Amino acid sequence: MSSDSDSRRNTFEDVDWDEIDDTARPISHRALAIASAYAIFVGGVAYDVLLAPEGDTIASLGLSLQALDWLYILTLLTLVVFGLVPLSEHRRMTAHYWNQFKKNTAAVVSLGYLLVVFAIGSIGPRVLEKPRVDARNAYQPPVFTSVESWLPVDCVGPVVNDRCHGTWAHPLGTTHEGKDILVSVIYGMEVSMQVGLIAAFITVTIATVVGISAAYFGGWVDTVLMRYVDLQITFPTFFLYLVVVYLYGGSLFSMIVIFGLLGWGSIARIVRSEALQRREETYVLAAKNAGASSSWTIRRHLLPNVSNSVITAATLLIPSLILFEASLAFLGLGDPTVPSWGGLIASGRNDLQYAWWISTIPGVFLFGTILAFNFIGDALRDAFDPRSGGGTT
Amino acid sequence: MAVYILRRITWAIVASLIVLSLTFLLLYFTPDTQLTELQFQAAQAGNDPERVGEAYERYHGLDQPIHVQYLEFMTNMVSLNWGWSETRSQPVTTALVEAIPYSMMYAVPSILLSTILGIGIGLYSATHQYTRGDYAATAFAFFGLSIPDFWFAIVLLVVFGGMLGWVPILFDTSVATVSYANVTQLLLPVTVLTLTSVASLMRYSRAEALEYVEAAFVKTAKAKGVSDRRILYRHIFRPASVPLATILVGDLVGIIFVASYLIEVVFGIPGLGTLSYRAIVNQDTALVVGTVLVPTFLTIIGNLVQDIAYTVLDPRIDYGDR
Repeated sequence: MSSDSDSRRNTFEDVDWDEIDDTARPISHRALAIASAYAIFVGGVAYDVLLAPEGDTIASLGLSLQALDWLYILTLLTLVVFGLVPLSEHRRMTAHYWNQFKKNTAAVVSLGYLLVVFAIGSIGPRVLEKPRVDARNAYQPPVFTSVESWLPVDCVGPVVNDRCHGTWAHPLGTTHEGKDILVSVIYGMEVSMQVGLIAAFITVTIATVVGISAAYFGGWVDTVLMRYVDLQITFPTFFLYLVVVYLYGGSLFSMIVIFGLLGWGSIARIVRSEALQRREETYVLAAKNAGASSSWTIRRHLLPNVSNSVITAATLLIPSLILFEASLAFLGLGDPTVPSWGGLIASGRNDLQYAWWISTIPGVFLFGTILAFNFIGDALRDAFDPRSGGGTT
Repeated sequence: MAVYILRRITWAIVASLIVLSLTFLLLYFTPDTQLTELQFQAAQAGNDPERVGEAYERYHGLDQPIHVQYLEFMTNMVSLNWGWSETRSQPVTTALVEAIPYSMMYAVPSILLSTILGIGIGLYSATHQYTRGDYAATAFAFFGLSIPDFWFAIVLLVVFGGMLGWVPILFDTSVATVSYANVTQLLLPVTVLTLTSVASLMRYSRAEALEYVEAAFVKTAKAKGVSDRRILYRHIFRPASVPLATILVGDLVGIIFVASYLIEVVFGIPGLGTLSYRAIVNQDTALVVGTVLVPTFLTIIGNLVQDIAYTVLDPRIDYGDR
């Protein structure tokens, strides 16, 4: 801020503070890039809401974006802007974190698995056709396995010794409706990632704002916000969602928004207690003495310091969100239009004795994804939280 | 402390009233599917749908102004007059009372089991940190945390019920509560529910106990030659039990309600979860409200007990300023 006054070796009294105040602080390229990225996003939403014809966003490209897709784009944009960009700017710290993280083999493997799932889940549904009902194709076994030949209506692969063998046409087999399981699983990946990431994004945003405001401003702001959190935490979100499904019908969008808007209580408590400690640190007091504004103190001193516990809590929150969505889809109370893993498991439930692969394969993916998030969350907690003495650090 | 407990109880009552008011508002602003159907039928039969609608509203008291309806709703709820279940042709409260024993049949053993196992394994992990047993326990905890309970339930049901035939596939309500047949058919539900709830309890108790394993007073006790068993019970378990007791009540309640919903549907147990699920599928509004409110109130009570337990068990905490 005061580098030019330093260079001329002025004494403190010589500095013309009015002049410094007058020279507007130049807006950095980074801030400009971030602002324009969000401006483009807002423009896109405005175009979709106000101008675009019903249903289609960009008709010429066949692109149709729903509210959920916009929310997902916003989530990913925020992840890039506040996650990947700072990591690539601070190479040294990134290397340091990576070295810490690398010690936990399970977490590294989990991260790799999740990146693959995310990549396939993002690209797959753009390239592949949605799985279709095709009764003649029903009950095809996965490749390298076989099933008694009476089960599939029309075996695609070779029939040897009265057993229908799977083929590469349907590497993971098909359901009782003839839907290809691999394609359904890939579509399910996107759904799971959307649920986990969007709901976590909403949760983290609200929890951080509420927690930091409560800690920083204190007084009645603190009382009102935390009283509300007390109330919200006692309210079981799962049952509220059941009521909403009953009254209005299930949709993935309403599920994510309900879980996002009502699930932030415990993380807000964590943020508040963390921020309360940081508020008393000497560097915050020093910043205040130097005349830093509230927003500056919060942005530069409180936010970065609570981010560790927020990231950890969010990583441990995501698996429970994914499990909730799968459970609701399994019960048939989710979004009927969305090919979710839970729905796939439910569709194979009655045939499990004959066609084991229908329920088992999506279940393995669901289990793996939840396990991976839990491993990463645990590794982050060990790395960030000095109180939990466990882990491999 | 008494003031704090009193205030906390008041708060729980306020929370319950807010939940009830929210339920009322949700119901009030939602179009009644039964009414639309009645009007549709009336229009098909050549009657005036408007008049049928008015008669229906008068009969159910829906033509009253909102505050009258609200007061009546709240009075009914508080006096446990929770309405009539159309699909089951019985009062909602009767349906609830009939269903709850079936839920308790597997939930109570499972809570006991997961409490004992969870705390036991957690303490073992903490005192034997970084041994093979600790790693095995940690792996088990991750497995329990991550396995989708409904999926695990159907896999178990197929393996042990279908392939091996050790347990019945269909839940039989006619068997006596205390009988061999009932034990076999409850075996899998208890296993699944215990696995889901034991994992988080294990992790909590391990983390709590670890705080005391390295504590100065434990080292002193060791130096004095106190036996390992006495150290475990008196010096580690006792201080760790305070936060554990609170986790037990509050968090376990939440986990069990959601898990039991799925477990009952998978195993066909006619408990609270199945009752609620059927009510949603069959569009039985009064029953949906009743079955959703029971776990909600129990969660509120669980949180209340948790907070009170904290103050009673741990005299170090001063709640004067809250």
